[in-house]
Amino acid sequence: MPVRALRGISSRVSAQLLIAVALFAVAALVVVPLVRLVQVVVEGGGSSISRVLSAADLTAAEHSLELAVAVPLLAVPLGTGLALLLRHADVPCRGLLRVLVVLPLLIPQFVLGYSWTQAYGRAGFTDDLVGVHWSGLTGPAGIIVVLVVDAVPICYLLTTVGLATRAQPELELASRVSGATGWAALRTVTLPLLRPVLAAEIVLVFVATLESFAAPQVLGAPSGYATLTTRMYADLSRGSNPDTFRDAVTLALGLVLIAAALLVPADLVLAPKLRSSRAASAGGGQPPRRRGGAVVAALVAVYSILAVLLPTVALVAAAITRAIGLPPTPSNWTLGNFRAALDAPTREALGNSLQLAVLAALALTALGAIVAALERYRSGRLLGTLAMLTFAVPGSALAVGLLIAYDRTLGGTLALILLAYLAKFWALAHRTISGAVDRMPAGEWQAARVSGAGPVVAVRTVWLPGLAPALAAAAVLVFVTALHEVTMSSLLYSTGTETFAVAVLNSQQLGDTGTTAALSVTLTAVLVVIAVPAWLLLRRQAHHRVSADRVEMASA
Amino acid sequence: MRSDVDAVRCVGLQVCYSGVPAIDEVDLTVALGEVVAVLGASGSGKSTLLHAVAGLVQPSAGEIWLSGQRVATARRGTAPEQRDVGLVFQDFALWPHLTALDTVAYPLQRAGRSRADARARARTLLDQLDIGHLAQRRPAQLSGGQQQRVGLARALARDPRVFLLDEPTAHLDTHLRAAFQDSVRDRQAETGAAAVYATHDAGEALALADRVALVVCGRLVQIASPQVVYEQPVSVATAGLTGAFSVLAAHVSMPSAGVLAVDLGDGYAEVPGGGASDSRAVLLRPDWVGLGGPFRARIAACSFRGAHSDYALETSSGTVHMQLPGPPQHAVGESVEWGIRRAWALPGGTAGETAVQPSAVIAPG
Repeated sequence: MPVRALRGISSRVSAQLLIAVALFAVAALVVVPLVRLVQVVVEGGGSSISRVLSAADLTAAEHSLELAVAVPLLAVPLGTGLALLLRHADVPCRGLLRVLVVLPLLIPQFVLGYSWTQAYGRAGFTDDLVGVHWSGLTGPAGIIVVLVVDAVPICYLLTTVGLATRAQPELELASRVSGATGWAALRTVTLPLLRPVLAAEIVLVFVATLESFAAPQVLGAPSGYATLTTRMYADLSRGSNPDTFRDAVTLALGLVLIAAALLVPADLVLAPKLRSSRAASAGGGQPPRRRGGAVVAALVAVYSILAVLLPTVALVAAAITRAIGLPPTPSNWTLGNFRAALDAPTREALGNSLQLAVLAALALTALGAIVAALERYRSGRLLGTLAMLTFAVPGSALAVGLLIAYDRTLGGTLALILLAYLAKFWALAHRTISGAVDRMPAGEWQAARVSGAGPVVAVRTVWLPGLAPALAAAAVLVFVTALHEVTMSSLLYSTGTETFAVAVLNSQQLGDTGTTAALSVTLTAVLVVIAVPAWLLLRRQAHHRVSADRVEMASA
Repeated sequence: MRSDVDAVRCVGLQVCYSGVPAIDEVDLTVALGEVVAVLGASGSGKSTLLHAVAGLVQPSAGEIWLSGQRVATARRGTAPEQRDVGLVFQDFALWPHLTALDTVAYPLQRAGRSRADARARARTLLDQLDIGHLAQRRPAQLSGGQQQRVGLARALARDPRVFLLDEPTAHLDTHLRAAFQDSVRDRQAETGAAAVYATHDAGEALALADRVALVVCGRLVQIASPQVVYEQPVSVATAGLTGAFSVLAAHVSMPSAGVLAVDLGDGYAEVPGGGASDSRAVLLRPDWVGLGGPFRARIAACSFRGAHSDYALETSSGTVHMQLPGPPQHAVGESVEWGIRRAWALPGGTAGETAVQPSAVIAPG
């Protein structure tokens, strides 16, 4: 819903009303929970602060920071390297390799972590096969590796977009004809131009790691390696001791402060540098290379096999093998694990998850569109920033805040979890839609109006066809992320409001390999079945637009 | 000896994009010190030709030689950084993170010079192009004309034997084009290098080049001196590339070499010219036509252009465009007598076809 349409409908008043609604939403979803966090800590007279600063919790904070520093330092170079390698058209099977690289986006983090234990852990796939397992997997090293694999797709995608919008192919060609070798062009032109994008990736992965809960829980719990998020989870599930509760709240507040301490200055410095109205170039434009395409393809394939495919195969094997320790040969195959796993409570959990994901997707697509439109007003500009800030509040802290603020009214209902999803994923929808609105040329709208279309007709005939892919992308993104989500729902669920992801996590804690594997496979399959067709559809849409741009460029 | 060898030689060159040839069967040689303009419409393959010579695209057939060395075949190509060329881009392609000085110093540093040394030389180049005072600015702080001068300085910094200019003035205002063209001609003459200058602007090509290569749909259809491509087009399509013209149905014959007899039915004239002896159509440039002469016409349209005026004359053989200095001398509808100073008999040309370049469009009334 573009803002100029609103203006055309004549209602500055209705815009003000929408802004008020959006501000109310921000207040209810984020501000109130955060204020309640502070209140609880203050009410305790600060005793929880001194307790938290004692040994055990301080160690958890150290662990969190350790991970948050290590993961971006590995994931950003890896994702960027893959993006740079897969730019060249002479890489065989490039389309397939690109899909493989972004595939982990569909695999929930705890499923990824769990499948790694099935592949490389004790009694895992490689242990069975060649008697080799990685004992460091359940510990900081394993957590780091899994979090890196989890973060690589997003780094890859951001760098790819950055390459298209900032390091225009022509700029590199100019350096090549100025006498720079491929490496020199990379060092002197491409990477300097990407610097703001890479910095943003580092910040993003830092914060995502800081608030990550699933991989540290799955891989860290067995060896007693606790982080801020897993410690909060432990504190809150240990029962109703007011002191441990207050400790968890204090940790949540600490998490918010650490995230804000990095994000606020980073946003101030990076945001202006990242703002670019330049449209992505229509690809191509790499100087021909004489060799190396096959080597690149092999490298990417090996990464993908080791990081994603082999663990997935191991997970599926565990899910369909009759008992742990048996070789995964057809004679030992069974669907018993699935039958046992998908009992009535689990089916209810799956229903809960789908319900939450659909509601969150629909509500946030509407809310995201409203904020993207309102951002064009002076008074609405703040909203965009606020929407982004909601994303910066770590999920665990947000969940604890919502729990304190609304437990009395909404406790034990799905609405409480839905609130958490709305608060946390608003930014995802907003980003996606707002980016598309930014790229929409003002001329299209003006041309429709001077061609005789009224504001409503112009929205329907010119804006919506252009924005439809972005709206759909936002909905799919929220849907997938909501199905993945375990950090907040594991803190907010109660009897009857268990989500499917929580069911998988709980099953994993109980230690039943076959059931957990079957549930993990089911969850990933649901995501693949829903997300892949949607993604293919979106890609076709986007492709139409790009090829149209190309025709325009060629005829210009 | 350097001067014995062609600076650029393309033999049977073909470049394909997703299987479709963008240029095909291109044979082109450029001598050292020579400027060749590649003139063609948008999308005719000019940029592709230049990019192939620079090594930015790989030919699918044919060969490219630079200064006697084979740099590209369909199988292998020398990397762009190892070719002795300098390229000026249509949309400048300046690096947003580098100042003008560092941009021009860039090729020198890649060639192994120290930073200080490269910068000193870059400053000299910028001074030569009258933009020395802008050395510390980044592209975003420069106007289009200034940016393209930086782009030219960057190409000059490589001191190549071949300059490739890919429609360098396409994004510049008219008054900046002339200044830029002067810079190019001065620098090129001074360095003695060869230059291939792609453009869709007839005036630019004719003014700058020693020879003009006309490109239609990816093929070189005529290569000759500017005067020859203007006066002796091989087809209606190439005539349109080099300027406005009219085509009239006529009986033509060649009483002697270099003389064309034109019979339009209402009159007859023998003028300098040539072309196909069996032609039934004659091509006239607006500046080859004047008032007073054996033919009769009615003035159908007339428009004042400042230094000159454009007329459309309605004759029994078709419409003729005429360009005369000064303001209009006749009103629309008046009958006049007119004559020709030169004519070209089109091979197999059909009468009635005209091509008028935008700058010479004749407005009715």
